[in-house]
Amino acid sequence: MRGELHFDAVVIGAGTAGLTAAVRLAQSGARVCVLAKGHGSTHLAPATVDVLGYAPDLITEPAAGLEKLMADHPEHPYALVGAEVVGEATGWFADVVAAGPLPGYHYVGSLERNQMLPTAVGALRPSALVPETMAAGERAHLVGVCIVGTPALRDFHPSLCAGNLAAAGIEARAVSLDLKLERADMSTLGIARHFDDPTWRRQFCAELALTLRAEEHVGLPAMLGLRDPHAVLTDLEDRLGRRVFEIPTLPPSVPGMRLYEILRSALRAAGVSSTLDGGRLSSVSTNAAGHNQTYRAPAYVLASGGFASGAIELDSHWVCHDRVLGLPLRGLPAEGAARFVPTYLDEQPLARVGIAVDGELRAEGAENVFVAGASLPGAAPWREGSGEGIALASGYRAAALIAGQSHTKQEATTA
Amino acid sequence: MATLSTDVLVIGGGATGAGIAWDAALRGLDVVLVDRQDLAEGTSGRFHGMIHSGGRYAVKDPRAAVECIGENRILRRVAADCIEDTGGMFVTTPFDDPAYADKLAKGCADTGVDCEEITPAQALRDEPRLNPQISRAFRVPDANIDVWKAVWAMSHGAQQHGARILPYHAAVAIHRSDDQVTGVRVRDARTGEESDIEARVTVNAGGAWAGQIADLAGIEGVRVLPGRGIMIAMNHRLVNTVVNRCQMPSDGDIIVPVRTVSVVGTTDVNTDDPDDHTVNQDEVDAMLDDGEKLVPGFRRARALRVWTGVRPLFEDAKPAGTDSRDVTRAHALLDHEQRDGVRGFVTITGGKLTTFRLMAEETVDAVCRQLGETRPCKTASVPLPGSESGENYRLGERLARKEANLIDEQVICECELVPRARLEEAITRTGSTNLDDIRRQLRLGMGPCQGGFCIYRAAGILHARDGLSAEEADGSLLDFLQERWKGVWPVLYGDQLRQVRLDDWIFQGVLDVAHLPRT
Repeated sequence: MRGELHFDAVVIGAGTAGLTAAVRLAQSGARVCVLAKGHGSTHLAPATVDVLGYAPDLITEPAAGLEKLMADHPEHPYALVGAEVVGEATGWFADVVAAGPLPGYHYVGSLERNQMLPTAVGALRPSALVPETMAAGERAHLVGVCIVGTPALRDFHPSLCAGNLAAAGIEARAVSLDLKLERADMSTLGIARHFDDPTWRRQFCAELALTLRAEEHVGLPAMLGLRDPHAVLTDLEDRLGRRVFEIPTLPPSVPGMRLYEILRSALRAAGVSSTLDGGRLSSVSTNAAGHNQTYRAPAYVLASGGFASGAIELDSHWVCHDRVLGLPLRGLPAEGAARFVPTYLDEQPLARVGIAVDGELRAEGAENVFVAGASLPGAAPWREGSGEGIALASGYRAAALIAGQSHTKQEATTA
Repeated sequence: MATLSTDVLVIGGGATGAGIAWDAALRGLDVVLVDRQDLAEGTSGRFHGMIHSGGRYAVKDPRAAVECIGENRILRRVAADCIEDTGGMFVTTPFDDPAYADKLAKGCADTGVDCEEITPAQALRDEPRLNPQISRAFRVPDANIDVWKAVWAMSHGAQQHGARILPYHAAVAIHRSDDQVTGVRVRDARTGEESDIEARVTVNAGGAWAGQIADLAGIEGVRVLPGRGIMIAMNHRLVNTVVNRCQMPSDGDIIVPVRTVSVVGTTDVNTDDPDDHTVNQDEVDAMLDDGEKLVPGFRRARALRVWTGVRPLFEDAKPAGTDSRDVTRAHALLDHEQRDGVRGFVTITGGKLTTFRLMAEETVDAVCRQLGETRPCKTASVPLPGSESGENYRLGERLARKEANLIDEQVICECELVPRARLEEAITRTGSTNLDDIRRQLRLGMGPCQGGFCIYRAAGILHARDGLSAEEADGSLLDFLQERWKGVWPVLYGDQLRQVRLDDWIFQGVLDVAHLPRT
């Protein structure tokens, strides 16, 4: 039909969950299309794989913590996908990164133990897998640390970071290096491009070396190159003769952009077409640059995100909607009950809203729509430190369910 | 215990109190001003930002209309830098009594408020978002004021003339020697230290809190009924002129463009407690519905923040027989020597922001009478510091300044275009480690993202510059987030919820402020 494209599966959303589902589907031989209105969460997030950090107390062993969480909260996305899938998905993810376009760049860690990494404000955050460029920030390795910033970077304040690390018992100090950059106002992205240049890096190391003390590690804002971060890290560690690590800070996230490129590259390698624009689901229509297009497939993955992406909306009459497909929601506060509570850092009643699903991630009222990532109800990713873990595991699981379904159909036809 | 001594002690650092300090200092009096919180943190900092033309009162309260238009003309000159000449409009929507328009025109003519009828088509050309069903429209000289800028300018001006300005100093006792008020004991809210201030005349400029302050002095019957109203800031200028419904003044009938946002207001709910900041759901719903009547599609715009202010509605509960009360006046000046036989004490309350200068003038006149001195008022002709050029503020000013220094300057708050140098200067000048105080000084964090990006930056700069401990800087950051949340969550919906989720992502995800080390 004119204006229609046919696929085996259409994935809506290009965050970690959507891209994971798409790559997995393509790897299983399906013809897949990804539809997204702009970038997903990757450009905002630290790009660590947070599986489970708090429940609600600090979790040191995510694998063990997951078992208990699933038992206590049967509606939680992790309980829907199962512990085995979380392990498979994170293992698969580490392989995808290692085989990706950034030579040597890889993630370290496992579900056995959380790594506690400094944030830009100097809090320690638990993550299961982290980019190699962040690994040396693990609290257990940090005997002494020099946190380095530059005045042109308004998005990173080394003294506050070091001050809070010191308050947590780490010998930490701060250095602010004037890097004589081209503008008074630089983003981590702009400086990351400088780090990609070996000549610039050499000068940076020469200047930094003058200020360093014996054994201390060096913590820098997350900006150690976009094109070849492994080489940047190796070079810095060689030249400075010590461990160096990145600290995630305000968006845009350089490690998140690397992650996005890695997943996109995996998509391309698996032959997925992707569009970046803007009862039973039969098709999805998009409007990009004045052109209407319909995408049809027997199965869909809805990984469009929650309130943060705008896919789920609370309107001015205080009613929640799924703006993408209009599917029913779950986890809504009862009629007349509070939507929010007055203490900012308390759990907000609206936090666990998502698309209502069955035990196999199928949306209620649309049997061929599988839901993944922040679209799922029942989790509070920031509080739990579980966002990427849920995204990977549910994206991975959604793909497996769709692939399994089409296999069953093919077998039935053959028979 | 430290003791200060002065001619005039002003209790209350709102627009009126700061205006009194400025007025008295200009007349050559020695002045001390105290406030329990930061300047303009009470009613003055909690209104919609409008300088009335007087049109709103032209039918209901002609005397208030005369005062408004008089003060409007003066403020445009002396507080030029704080005022944006947006102009204003009264429009008859299908929800308004069509007969009111003629009353408005006559009321304005009688009170001297400039008022020109224009065709609805012209009104819609000027303000394309207005309800296309309007049947009548009038232009009036409404304007907006940056009240924090004005209060700080008056405070600085007073300081240049020797005044001492003491925010975060709460009056805890008022000293009396028989029928003479002799001074006040204040407590420094930050250190807990108490000190005495001796004064020849003490001025109670407590606004909605004036009754509480009069009680401290043992004065009876100064009853201020706080009238609480909510205001909602929308994320951009839905209108560029102040738009009023052409009807008897009522709830939710004004939209005021202020800087980069517009404010819809307001409600009026009686309360017993001037510190009551409850925001009721039905008031929010009513404001959004009212906004929709003036600007269709209003509910689709982003609501940034809601706040409440308390009007000081004065009622003299003292048995009649005194001549100090003037019931027709919107504001109330109580000379307690005349009213109660207590010398050295004057109360000013009631009124509206537009007439703060006049209230200050009348108050200092009363102070001079008590002192037995003749010192003419100068505030109607001497410009505030920063307003000497007489040029009104324009919206594009900050952007123009910023663009001139694009390469050399760091912008800390993109929404409100606050450069790093201004932030550092404000930290040094105020000596404040409270990011919420700095917000009122610079508008830091007042734009659409409500501090999502700038507050981490500001906390880092504060910490590096001010020698604060990390815990103190964390405290300032967390206090700001909590204070912000208070005004955000009752109006959180639509794309602003999306924005707040991005902010949550930053604070609770990337920075993980919930797990900072605490002492």
